Amino acid sequence: MNTKLSSKRKPNYINPYFGGVLLGLLLLTIFYVAGRGLSATGGLKLIVVTLVDKIAPEHAENNAYYRMFLPKDGSSPLSNWLVFGALGTFFGGMLSGAISGRLGKLRIEKSPKISNTTRLIAAGVGGILFGIGSQFGRGCSSGAALSGTSAFSFGGLIIMALMFGVGYVFAYFFRKLWI
Amino acid sequence: MGPLIPLEIITGHWDFVIALLIGGAFGYILEASGFSSSRMIAGVFYGYNFVVLRVFFTAMIVAMVGYLYFSYMGWIDMSLVFVLPTYLNSMLFGGFLMGLGFVIGGFCPGTSYTAAAIGKIDGVVFAGGVLLGIFIFSELFPFYEDFYVANNLGNVTIGEMIGVSNEVVAFAFVVIAIVAFYVTSIIEKKVRKNMTEYKFE
Amino acid sequence: MNKKYLFLALLMLLLATGLLILPERHNFQQMKAENLMWEVVQPTRYVTVDQVAMMIIDGDPTLELVDVRPINDFATFSLKNAINIPFDSLLNPNYQGYLGIEDMNVVFYSNDDIRADQSWVIARRMGYHNLYVMKGGLNSWIECIIKPLKPDETASLNEFEDYEFRKGASIYFTGAKLESSDKKSSVNVVRRKKGSAVAGGC
Repeated sequence: MNTKLSSKRKPNYINPYFGGVLLGLLLLTIFYVAGRGLSATGGLKLIVVTLVDKIAPEHAENNAYYRMFLPKDGSSPLSNWLVFGALGTFFGGMLSGAISGRLGKLRIEKSPKISNTTRLIAAGVGGILFGIGSQFGRGCSSGAALSGTSAFSFGGLIIMALMFGVGYVFAYFFRKLWI
Repeated sequence: MGPLIPLEIITGHWDFVIALLIGGAFGYILEASGFSSSRMIAGVFYGYNFVVLRVFFTAMIVAMVGYLYFSYMGWIDMSLVFVLPTYLNSMLFGGFLMGLGFVIGGFCPGTSYTAAAIGKIDGVVFAGGVLLGIFIFSELFPFYEDFYVANNLGNVTIGEMIGVSNEVVAFAFVVIAIVAFYVTSIIEKKVRKNMTEYKFE
Repeated sequence: MNKKYLFLALLMLLLATGLLILPERHNFQQMKAENLMWEVVQPTRYVTVDQVAMMIIDGDPTLELVDVRPINDFATFSLKNAINIPFDSLLNPNYQGYLGIEDMNVVFYSNDDIRADQSWVIARRMGYHNLYVMKGGLNSWIECIIKPLKPDETASLNEFEDYEFRKGASIYFTGAKLESSDKKSSVNVVRRKKGSAVAGGC
């Protein structure tokens, strides 16, 4: 639970431009193979839909939003491309972390100026905002901003511009969280 | 000729295997580039670390230019590749919320998975927050059902919107990206000089 | 270090400039003969009359029935909610708005398969997607749905299930009175089990 432990060793991240080229080629691959972009929130959305459908099927059926993602033939929403993609992302991250020695015990990364609780609350609130925003935006930073813009979608560009723009506008108010 | 799955050249459950592999590569690249660290990501907003901008923009221009060459060579049918539809009102609002969530939480969903995968509790909490956020959105959906679909511009591309070809758009992005890389590298150097307490993690 | 980046930036610029100066080329305006050939032999481009009946009864919003027979024939008899695009008007720009609607599945039908099949090929060649042909056309529709024949006593269970469905569908479409031997008192569309495809079994 200490940031110092992990910051002693200099992390061996790959060159960001190299990472960018790899990510670009991956995007190209997924366009070529699947005809669509990457997605991260789609999997979580289907998990939410499945949970609600399991716990309160009638409620899910009555809500227009859940209904949109419940397969008509009654199969599980989880047997979907998006879920496997999200799962892959998790394990891919784990693999990279393990190879470069970043896979470690449970810890919290934060600015030394704030407490663990503050960081966790900020992470939770940020996550909730992102969750709601991604549904309004029809995709998150990977789905809408990155893949959307790369496929020349105008909506993707809007999301990207706003995401960074709003971030810069509000950065001043949340600087204690980071620096 | 692609895309392979929409043209049904790959069918059946193979697409799940491919999804897993592509997702895995995505997670690997994100983590290896340092996106599992929220402080590193948030650096883009305070000028001490522009790795997000570098990876993001490089990926975008490589994909854009490559995509157009693929189309030119006749390897991919652009009309079959999904263009995210633009629902103006809802997307403006969504982008706003995501920007706020980004600077407060320090992750985006994809990066929070990789952070969670290497044992960061804040990553787990962020992903949990996203889950909760989606749930809240869905539960309250009836209240903004009309807003959600208002001002639908359809599957419009950037080029169509401003009246130029996609080639010009890609070229503009490349130029902007290269200028941005140069400028941010100067900013980064200056900011880091004045920062003593931040240890580069 | 800086030189490397300069080189990479120039390379990227060069590639992007290449896009601008390449002459225009339209790769996908025409469908390659091999691709068309491949698609033509796919059995998935056919739907059975039972499937169409089921979709109409269910009120499937993605179903778009296109009648390719001449206008007079269409006026005499047509399927519920079908639109008429006579075969010789298929290329007419006024009708293009009916094809290529996102998420709509276009099902062509004519008296038999032939005209519908030809329409399918022409429309596919024009670049439209989600096109289907109703197998057997209206002849098959009348035979199977409107006047279903009771299968032999020795017929398989599947065939009886089909018959039950078709009888129900027939009542749905014609409003015909129930046979006196039938015990059921209300209109009852028996749903065919998924996968028991007796395509063209009648």
